[in-house]
Amino acid sequence: MKKRIAIPILLLCLALVAAACSSDTDDATTTTGGDGGSSDTTTTTEGMTEASVLRAAITGDEDTINPYTYISGFPGWNLLMMQYDSLMQLDANGEPQPWLAETVTTNEDLTVWTLKIVDGVTWHDGEPLTAEDVEFSLEYFMEKATGRFSRDLSSVEDVTSDDTTNEVVITLGATNPSFDLVALADVPIIPEQVWAEIDTPGEATYDISTNVGSGPYMLVEYEAEQFYRFEANPDYFRGAPQVDELVVVVFADDSGALAAIRSGEVDVNFERVSPEQIDLLAGQGGLEIAQGPEFTTQMINFDASKAPFDDLAVRKAMSLAIDAQDIVDTVFLGAATVGSPGWVHPDKAVYNPAVQPEFDPAAANAMLDDAGYADSDGDGVREYDGEPMAFELITNSSDSLRLRIAELTAEMLAEIGMDITVASVETATWEEAVWPGFDINNGRNYDIATWGWSAPIQANTIRVAELVNSDPSIGFLNLTGFSNPDVDTLSAALLTEADEAAFETGIMELQQLIADNVPFVMLAYPDGAYVYNADVYSDYEFIAGQGIVSKLSFLPDSARP
Amino acid sequence: MRRIGLKNLDRYLLVFVVAVSLNFLLPRLMPGNPLALIAGVDVGLMTPDERAEIITAVGLDEPLLTQFIDYWKAVLTFDLGFSYKSGRPIVEMITERLPWTLLITVGSLMVSAVIGIVLGGWSAWRRGKKTDLSMLTGMISLQSLPSFWLGMLLISVFAVQLGWFPSFGAETPASSYEGMARVGDILEHAILPIVTLTVLSIPGVYMTMRYSMLEVLGSDFIRTARAKGASERRVLFGHVARNAIAPVVTFLAIRFAFAFGGSVIIETVFSYPGLGRLIFEAVSGRDYPVMQAAFLVFTVAVIVANLVADLLYPVLDPRMRVE
Repeated sequence: MKKRIAIPILLLCLALVAAACSSDTDDATTTTGGDGGSSDTTTTTEGMTEASVLRAAITGDEDTINPYTYISGFPGWNLLMMQYDSLMQLDANGEPQPWLAETVTTNEDLTVWTLKIVDGVTWHDGEPLTAEDVEFSLEYFMEKATGRFSRDLSSVEDVTSDDTTNEVVITLGATNPSFDLVALADVPIIPEQVWAEIDTPGEATYDISTNVGSGPYMLVEYEAEQFYRFEANPDYFRGAPQVDELVVVVFADDSGALAAIRSGEVDVNFERVSPEQIDLLAGQGGLEIAQGPEFTTQMINFDASKAPFDDLAVRKAMSLAIDAQDIVDTVFLGAATVGSPGWVHPDKAVYNPAVQPEFDPAAANAMLDDAGYADSDGDGVREYDGEPMAFELITNSSDSLRLRIAELTAEMLAEIGMDITVASVETATWEEAVWPGFDINNGRNYDIATWGWSAPIQANTIRVAELVNSDPSIGFLNLTGFSNPDVDTLSAALLTEADEAAFETGIMELQQLIADNVPFVMLAYPDGAYVYNADVYSDYEFIAGQGIVSKLSFLPDSARP
Repeated sequence: MRRIGLKNLDRYLLVFVVAVSLNFLLPRLMPGNPLALIAGVDVGLMTPDERAEIITAVGLDEPLLTQFIDYWKAVLTFDLGFSYKSGRPIVEMITERLPWTLLITVGSLMVSAVIGIVLGGWSAWRRGKKTDLSMLTGMISLQSLPSFWLGMLLISVFAVQLGWFPSFGAETPASSYEGMARVGDILEHAILPIVTLTVLSIPGVYMTMRYSMLEVLGSDFIRTARAKGASERRVLFGHVARNAIAPVVTFLAIRFAFAFGGSVIIETVFSYPGLGRLIFEAVSGRDYPVMQAAFLVFTVAVIVANLVADLLYPVLDPRMRVE
C-alpha cells in the first residue's frame, strides 16, 4: 500500500526534474553570443538589417509616453525619444552631435548658443517644424515643470528664434560647458500647435493623440499594461527607419520577458538582462547579446552626517575593507567595470587613472585602531561612543544583485569589526529611508544602504557636484549628508568653468579629493547586456554608456551620426 | 429565515464600515511615498517648491482626518477618483481589468469545483482505501506547490519548450483579430493561467468535499438508508452527496468573492492585465486611490458573497431554516 501512495509523488517529482532539465536542451545553433567576461560591445555584421515588425519587451507600463507622462528614466525616456527629436543626438561614443540643429556654435565663455535648425523637417501631422517650435518647446518646459527637462534648462536665461533664418539663440545665465550634453541632447522638441492649448500639462489627462513628434516612430496604439504599437515615420528627416512597425510589449516582471524571448514571442528585450542570464541565453536559437559598458552605478551609501560615519577614518576603513573586484567577479560574474573611488567611469575622457580602488583590510583595521575604535569587550565588534559598531544595511528586495552585494559587504565589514545586519525591504520603503520624500532637506533614516544612480548622472561628469556638494541647492542628490569644504569649493567652481583645460585639471583633482574623503563607497558600473533575436533584426547600435534602446538602432547606417 | 437575513445585515454593515476604513488606513501605514508616482519623471530632480505643489494638488498635505472624511464621501458617492500614476479615472481602469480577472478566476473556479467535488466525493466514498490515501497525499502535495513556481514551470514547458500556448498577456499584442478569431486568441492566452489556478485550487475544494462527505457518511440516517435497503447509488447521490454539498457551496461562494481580488502572483507571472496586477502595481508605487478602490471592490465582493452564502444555506439545508 505504501508503494501505491508513493506513485503520484514519484510522478510529480519526475515531471519536475524533467522540466528543470529540459530548459537547457534547446537546439544550440552556432551563433556568436556575448561572453560574460568581456565588456566589449558585441556587434554583429551578419544577421538581419530590416524587419517589418519587431516586438520588444519592457517591464512595467510607461503610461502614454509623452514628455509629461512617461514613467521611468530608462527605458521610458528612450521610448519617448523614438517619437521626438532633440536638438543634438548622442553618437555611438556617447558624444552629442548635431541633429535637429544642423550646426551648434557658441561664444567664448559658453553662454550664448546659436543653433541652425534643419530646413524642411515636418511633424507627424505634416506641419513644418520651425525655429519657433524650438523656442516654444524650451520656454514651455522652463515654465511648466517636468522635473528632468526643466532642470536640464535651469541655466537658460533667454531664448529667441528667427523663422526666416531658422535659427535659435539660447542665452545662459552662467557658463555651462555641458549644456550640449545635458540639455540639447536630452530635451525633446514638441509642436506648438499641440501643446499651446495645454495650460497645466502636469494635471491634464492624455491619450495618444497628443503624441505628435518629429521622430522616426509614431505611437498609433496603446493598451495600458499590455502593449504599445509604433509605426515608422516614412518621411523621417534623417531617412526612413529599417523596421516598419515596433510593438513594445509590457511585461509584469523580467522572467516573463525572458520566457517570451526564448519562446520567440518577442524579438528583443529593452531591459538589461542579469549577468547570470548572459551565457544562458546567448546561443539559444538565434539569440544574441549586445553587451557593453554603461554608466549606471552600484555603491554603498552611509549617513555621513552622524557618528560614526562622520569620521573620515571610519569611511576610509570601510572603503579599504570592501573588495570591489570581488563584487564584480562574484555578483556580476565579470560583466561590470570596477568602480573608481573618484566616481568617474574609466571610459570617460576626464577619468583620472591615478585614482585607483584599494583593498587592504589590514590597513583598515590599523586605521580604526588608531582612531580609537577598540573592541573593548572582545566580542569581535568594535565600539564607538560606548555603543557596538552594529548597523543595519538596507537594500531593496526587488534587486537580487543588490541583495548579494549587501551580503558580501556585510561579510567584508565583519573583517574590520563591524557587525552588519542585512535588511531586505520593499523598494518604496528603502527609497523612503535613504531619500525621504525625494528631498535631502528631509534628512536620512538609515545607517548603511545599497544605492545606485542612473546613467545620465555619470554621463555628464560634472553632475558629481550634485552628489557631493553640501549646499542643498547644488548637492541636491547628496544622499549621504557628506560635507567637505575643499570638495564644496572645487565642485561649485567646476560647474561654471568655461575653459576646457582648466576644467580637466579641476575634475582630475576633484576625483582625488572624493577618493580621499569617501562620500560613498563606489563598487561597480554594471555592463548593459541586451538579448535579441538576430534572425529577426540585429542592426542595433550600442551607445556607450546608454545601451541599444534608441532611435539609432532602427535607422539606416547612413542616417546615424 | 427573513429575520436572520436582516439581523445579519447590521453585522454586514459593521464589517463594511470597519473594512472600508482599514482600506484607507493600511496604505498610509506602509512606509514609502507616492510622490515618485505622482511626479513621475525623475522626482529627485524637482525643486522642493515643485514637489510641495504636487502634494498640495492631490490633497496629501491635508490632515489625515480631512483626507479620511473626503475618502468616505467619495466611497458613498461611488466616486473612485483618479490614479496618481496615470491620472486616469479609476472606475475605467477597474472595469477594463475586471473582465480579464474574472475570465481566469471564474474559469478556474468552475473547473476546480467540478474536479474537486467529484474527486473529494469519490475519495470519501472509498475512505481508508488505497484510492483515498493516494489521492489525499497527491492533493496535499499539490497544495504545497508555490503558485509562481507552478506558473513558471508551465510557461517553461508549454510555451517555451513545446510552443503550444502563448506565455504572456490576455491577447496577442497589436493583433487585429475580430470575432471568433479573437475569442480563440483570448482562450489560447487564458489556458495556462486557468490551468495554474485550477491546479492550485482543486485541493481546497477536494478537502472540503471529502471532510463534509465523511461527516455525513458517519450519520445515523445513512445507516438507516442502508438498513432500509437503498442501493449504494441511491445512498451516495440521494443522501450523502446532497447533504455534504452545503459547506462546499459556502466555500465556493467565498472563493468566488476572492476572484474579484484577482490573483496577484499568477497575473504577474503571466503578465496578465487583471485586477491582481493592478493591485500589485498600485502597492509598489503607493498609488493610494487605486489601492483603495481595488480593495473596496474586493471588500464589497467578499461581504456580498458571505451574505449570499448565508442566504443560500437554509435553501440547501432545511435544518438551518428558522421560522
